[in-house]
Amino acid sequence: MKRKLLLVIALAATACFPGANIASATDPYAATMLWSNQMAAQRAWHGNYYYLPYGQPTALIVPPTAHMRQTLSWGVSQNLMYPLNHQFGRNASQPGAMPTGSFQATPHWPSHTDQFGVYYVRGPW
Amino acid sequence: MRKYRFLWAALVAINAVPMTTIRAADVDQVEYIVSSQIVSDVVTGNSLTTGSSGEMIASGGGACADGNCTGAAGGQGGMLGNGTNFLAGARARVGDLRQGGFAGDIASGCVPRTYGNPDLFYNYYTQGNCNGTNAQMYLSPVPVPANVGHTFYTYQPFNPQEMLYWHTDRFHNYYDGGRGMNHTKVHYFAPPIRQAASNIYWNHLRIPR
Repeated sequence: MKRKLLLVIALAATACFPGANIASATDPYAATMLWSNQMAAQRAWHGNYYYLPYGQPTALIVPPTAHMRQTLSWGVSQNLMYPLNHQFGRNASQPGAMPTGSFQATPHWPSHTDQFGVYYVRGPW
Repeated sequence: MRKYRFLWAALVAINAVPMTTIRAADVDQVEYIVSSQIVSDVVTGNSLTTGSSGEMIASGGGACADGNCTGAAGGQGGMLGNGTNFLAGARARVGDLRQGGFAGDIASGCVPRTYGNPDLFYNYYTQGNCNGTNAQMYLSPVPVPANVGHTFYTYQPFNPQEMLYWHTDRFHNYYDGGRGMNHTKVHYFAPPIRQAASNIYWNHLRIPR
């Protein structure tokens, strides 16, 4: 009787486990990497403002394990979180720097953290 | 009794087989190998073509950071005699292999002796088509004028971006047509006690200003 019970339990376990096996990926970041890549492919890594000392939008490298970025705006206040989709990769991409005037300057009275021209990009794995 | 044993064994087998196969497949898909065999060091769209003399020519953007993009086509020996299996296989990694002097007949299928010729350094760039402009990761934070000059790490395990997070990496370098391999396993970590003390200071004690 005990043995039968064991067998039934084992059968139930077998019925459950194949799915679990498939889901047990060795890479816990695989799905999020895919989402990030898809999101990044449809969005610019910068917010169209240039960083004053450099004249171009400037990337600030953060660890690849970083998830979210926080933006603040004042005046009409906002406090928003976005996922950090962009990540540095091996493909050399064109164009590099754009001609002067392609991007907006930081306003005299900035009202948003994006307006300073420094944007997070995650480092490569 | 025997029947149950058999069933039990069968169950174990059922459970074991998919696990092993799936895990093997996972390992294949997820590979954090940072090899020195980088396909190209020039702008995307670069393609390797075979010139009229049979030499491998890397055409494309023309920018070649470290000067080895054309492989050793013009160097010692040169990879002549296209059409052999070896050259077809070597085509993708022409920038990474340098061929020594070779007196034999490559066209008849003899395999010349090659040496690793990996990129000294490879930069990283922002990805995607919606960027308008792209950032290169080094120099950081911003490039310097060309006349200033700069240095870079040529040993990949020392690259600063590896120090950003706690992880383990293996750096592989294949040679001899993939039959030989050197690997370096590196653990990047922060000393936990010192890190905890630092966190207490920066997150709780420090006066925000």
